[in-house]
Amino acid sequence: MSASFERLIDGIIDALQSHVVPNSRDDFVRGQVFSAIYALNGLKLGADWKVAPLLEQVHLQDETFAAVRRLAGSLTYPEIPATPRTQGDMPDVATIEALRDDGDRRLGQLLLWASGEGARAVNGDVATEIEHLLRRAICDQLKIELATTPKSMLQQIAGGERDGGAAPG
Amino acid sequence: MLEAAKRSDDVRDVVPEPARPVVVNDDAVRTALAQHLSRISGSRTEIVSYGRKSSGFSWITYAFVARSAEGDRKLILRVGPPNGLFAPYSVLPQVYALQALHGSDVPVPALVSSEQDGAEIGFPFFICAHVEGDVPAPWAASELDPDHKRAIARQFVEILASLHRIDPGATPFASLQQGEQRAELRAISGWRASLARPTARYYPLLDWGGRWLHDNCPQLPRRTIVHGDYRIGNFIEHERKITAILDWELTHLGDPHEDLAWAMMPTFNARSRKLYGVLERAEVIDLYQRASGIAVSDKSLAFYEAYALYQAAAIQMCAVRAFEVDRFNDMRLAVMASQMPSIVRAFERALEAAA
Repeated sequence: MSASFERLIDGIIDALQSHVVPNSRDDFVRGQVFSAIYALNGLKLGADWKVAPLLEQVHLQDETFAAVRRLAGSLTYPEIPATPRTQGDMPDVATIEALRDDGDRRLGQLLLWASGEGARAVNGDVATEIEHLLRRAICDQLKIELATTPKSMLQQIAGGERDGGAAPG
Repeated sequence: MLEAAKRSDDVRDVVPEPARPVVVNDDAVRTALAQHLSRISGSRTEIVSYGRKSSGFSWITYAFVARSAEGDRKLILRVGPPNGLFAPYSVLPQVYALQALHGSDVPVPALVSSEQDGAEIGFPFFICAHVEGDVPAPWAASELDPDHKRAIARQFVEILASLHRIDPGATPFASLQQGEQRAELRAISGWRASLARPTARYYPLLDWGGRWLHDNCPQLPRRTIVHGDYRIGNFIEHERKITAILDWELTHLGDPHEDLAWAMMPTFNARSRKLYGVLERAEVIDLYQRASGIAVSDKSLAFYEAYALYQAAAIQMCAVRAFEVDRFNDMRLAVMASQMPSIVRAFERALEAAA
């Protein structure tokens, strides 16, 4: 959801303290909120984002880099990192996230290159094939993120209503 | 919304910026509002039944009754907060809209007063008449009966056609046209710059798609007034009639396809491909063409459907940035980040259709 796990927890705690606690007159409800804040502080100390979905994205990016390198052959293309980028000991979440973000930037540069005039002029067919490969791969990466996205609550979040419907004008 | 902020830069060139408080205090606004209305009416005015109506990210809305010797008037105050998501704000697009469209076939609330420099209140604001009725929620599957919704949806399209029929050259909107560059391209450049800010997460498809939009922006059939946020949820309906179109802060001159594409986004129609969940796309286009006299181009509409998603993505990223970087502790902003993968995927598909 959020780029920073710790920042998200801080935001939740602040929202509860600033908006929920002052508007709760019921002692039991306030006890529940303070318990939730305590639990969130515990999560901040001992938890982080799941590693697996981030690592899956990095692996997918690596496969894409390798495929682009194969297809591009002798074409001059933006720099591609050596793959695989993760080996041996499992890196921490922040490192994997940084690799994923760096991979996204490099995929973007490759996509701009493949769909640009320069690559098309040298070998239009290969450039188009690389463009389609990149678009598919980036969409597949988004699917991994979607798998960790909860069902939308936009209606409740936007309107603050349990059931939605027409709001008074 | 960003456009509104950008345009307000132009306003700042000519209006000196007074020292202002940094947070909108409801009680202080109420006191200042009474002073303002007393001054402009020349009659002591008391503010009663006063309260915030919304807790949005942008303009703050208050409903109140202005009580004076002449009687009670139900009014609405809208204030551009200095810490809003797209601050600093310009009041001008909304003021132009309420002034220029008053008495036209596009129903708008009557403008009572406005101040770009904030006057007594200290922030850009305008006051308009209260309009009786309900605002439908765009995200909810409404419980209204389909016939009711069809009647409203048809009016919604006909009013849009009326807006696009207006000659903008004869209105204050003409002054919104600036410089040599096409306004559509300037807007795309603005969103690209916003997405390119170094602290925002980088999405390769948005970078590539932004360039595609800029390089493939279609010529417009006619330069019209564009509402900029024309959708279910931005109007008031009362007894099966749309009585006011709201939220003119993004109004600009441009391609009429932009409003049509925005209005038909499934996000604003309870995830339905039908307008308000009842009007088929072909029916919307047919009705719009007949009412506006503007031929709808499939290619332009597809372009602006992709552009709508691009704008939506950029707006979400502004919200994410406000939470992550500016540490604006509103959890709704944090939640917006979770919408990005689905919006970017939808954008990619829309680009494929537009290409």
